[in-house]
Amino acid sequence: MAEEKRNMLRIHSYAGELRERNERGTPGNLVEQDPGPIVRLQLAEKILDVCRANSLWPMTFGLACCAIEMMCMGMARFDIARYGSEVFRPSPRQSDLMIVAGTVNKKMAPAVMTLYEQMPSPKYVIAMGNCAISGGPFAVKENYNVIEGIDKLIPVDVYVPGCPPRPEGLIEGILKLQEKITGVRHPFPQRKVSDAPN
Amino acid sequence: MPELTKISQPHRFFLNMGPQHPSTHGVLRVLLEMDGEYIIEPQPVLGYGHRMQEKLAECRTCTAFMPNTARMDYAAALPYNHGYAALIERMAGIEVPPRAEYIRVITSELNRIASHLLWFGALLLDLGAFTPILYSFDDREQILDILEDITGSRLTYCYFRVGGVSKDIDDKFVERTRAFIKRLRQRFDIFEKLVTGNVIFINRVKGVGIIDADMCRRYGATGPVARGSGIPYDVRKNQPYSVYSEFDFDIPVGENGDSLDRYMVRMREMEQSLRIIEQALDKLPEGPYRGKIPKKIKLPAGDCCFSVEAARGELTYYLVGDGSDVPYRLKIRVPSYSNLSVLPELCRGMLLSDLVAAMGSLDLVIPEIDR
Amino acid sequence: MHRTESFAQSLRKLSLELQEVDFAQRGYHAEILLTADTLRDFARLMLEAEYFLVFMSAVHMSPAIELVYQFAQFNSQSRILGRLFLDADGVVPTISDIFQGSNWHEREVKDFFGIVFQDHPNLEPLILPEGSEDLKPLLKEEDKLKSCQEVSWQPAEAEGENEAAEPSGSEKS
Repeated sequence: MAEEKRNMLRIHSYAGELRERNERGTPGNLVEQDPGPIVRLQLAEKILDVCRANSLWPMTFGLACCAIEMMCMGMARFDIARYGSEVFRPSPRQSDLMIVAGTVNKKMAPAVMTLYEQMPSPKYVIAMGNCAISGGPFAVKENYNVIEGIDKLIPVDVYVPGCPPRPEGLIEGILKLQEKITGVRHPFPQRKVSDAPN
Repeated sequence: MPELTKISQPHRFFLNMGPQHPSTHGVLRVLLEMDGEYIIEPQPVLGYGHRMQEKLAECRTCTAFMPNTARMDYAAALPYNHGYAALIERMAGIEVPPRAEYIRVITSELNRIASHLLWFGALLLDLGAFTPILYSFDDREQILDILEDITGSRLTYCYFRVGGVSKDIDDKFVERTRAFIKRLRQRFDIFEKLVTGNVIFINRVKGVGIIDADMCRRYGATGPVARGSGIPYDVRKNQPYSVYSEFDFDIPVGENGDSLDRYMVRMREMEQSLRIIEQALDKLPEGPYRGKIPKKIKLPAGDCCFSVEAARGELTYYLVGDGSDVPYRLKIRVPSYSNLSVLPELCRGMLLSDLVAAMGSLDLVIPEIDR
Repeated sequence: MHRTESFAQSLRKLSLELQEVDFAQRGYHAEILLTADTLRDFARLMLEAEYFLVFMSAVHMSPAIELVYQFAQFNSQSRILGRLFLDADGVVPTISDIFQGSNWHEREVKDFFGIVFQDHPNLEPLILPEGSEDLKPLLKEEDKLKSCQEVSWQPAEAEGENEAAEPSGSEKS
């Protein structure tokens, strides 16, 4: 019976197809085949990457306990606005970062997929908290409802562990994402406040 | 309000207030049958946050389930810990030393204030005001710092143990709490001036979402929802548990049962919680912080229940034991479940923007409803 | 409230009997054994006596699934637990027209245990996703299922007498 319950949790997902496509080496007929811009200018790409990294607008996608820590990150004490994430956009069409904060279960999975599809490229995903990374405290033998990690559904860029992670941890996740986009940890020249190394 | 039956059909449609929405405080989906701007019938759809808590309780030993209790209502997790620990103590006949009871009361009340501050900010964020949440989260961070020193977590506490608490409080905690009480009392003035006296806010919540006492009883709504409707029901006074009978505090009660009354009840409750904390700090006894517990806690065969006053209403745990240390069945009666079930009857014929104010005043936390 | 004479009289009219229990041991003040026929009348009596429904849930044991209803009062200390034992093919009437709060409780019990409530307005899955009507997660597997006696309070001395009696949880403690 546990096997049947496990089978019920498998859902058609992008990440699986992406993996298969890479293994096969052939394009296949997939939903999304983004050829990229027609004209590529190295310098323009670099400048655009720096702009994107410094202005990541998250989508409000708090599902469970981690959502409160995400709200704390947006408030005055930890203040994500100084890193560019000035506003949390409720609409996926207006955001470019999806912070999945909380547990995704079988009923919620199609909604996550729909929201991910609606975001315009380039889009990034941070898996915040143990539940989004691997199912967290609910990835047990008797699990019948929780998806064990959202990377089974959508491709994830940065994983922030914790249950829930501290707001500082999530800010570090966003800085790591900036590093992933531009290659440099603080993409914008920072004024040195003290002699401590950056 | 116009006669809805006479309006022609094209104005009727279904609006989905989806699982992802800034005003639903989590993953609640409300299917609204609309007639123009008026709601005919809202149907909440639950289950987007279901995490099998009752099933997990049957698969773990009773003490290993404690972290799960905090993950249900994460905004006010300590009353959930308290209810579960006290239930196991009642079943297994374990004594709790008085110092531990006082520490439990102090930390639970601090957590209740933190939860109400979170609710305050979130309600006003829904109504369109961005400033009050910044102020309330500032005060909330002070509480979180105080509690983090002794519990180790900011949000999902697993501080209480069967028989007491897991770590003692020291003088630094007492000092910081006293300083915090003084500070918060002054901050209430800011909230009064900024929000409570604000004519825009009052126009948005006065007369909106009136729940009368009979409706509360038919749906089983408890907590500030019932108190806003004039029912002075608080488990801490009705069935005192722990050491609540030794403190002198009032139960704020509203008159009309509208959203403004529920708001005022919660604001007054924060002041009453401060009173309880002060009295508890004055009377704090010395002694051990954890009682003696057997190596393996055996739950007797039979059923038992325990009720506490969580931040959102009455929380009842019902446990059926079978003689081992793994519960046979645990039923968790969460307050937001019954509070949300009034929504279909409450919001019939309401304007859409009033629905947001009414839902915010009910103070819902969806993962606790879905468990 | 449950100790008043008028309440006891109304109960006698329904041929029901209230058993007082030890609050310090169990957390509720009295329990009562209900059947599918007396359930609705008892619920009406509770509504008139100004009780509210705290929760309604089910426990899977053999040979019958037990439904548990807890009622409490706002203005006095009185918690009453009603028990109802269902056979495998048992049907139970709904009380959602009397206590509207039980609407969702019954839907949840149908989700998790598969018990159907007669005349319920809407028995669609509440918490589990659609299409999982066969899942019934809280029903126990064969090896974990316990009998009624093993999960009820037994009087300390006379354990042998209870085997002959019907599965009931209303022994005096």
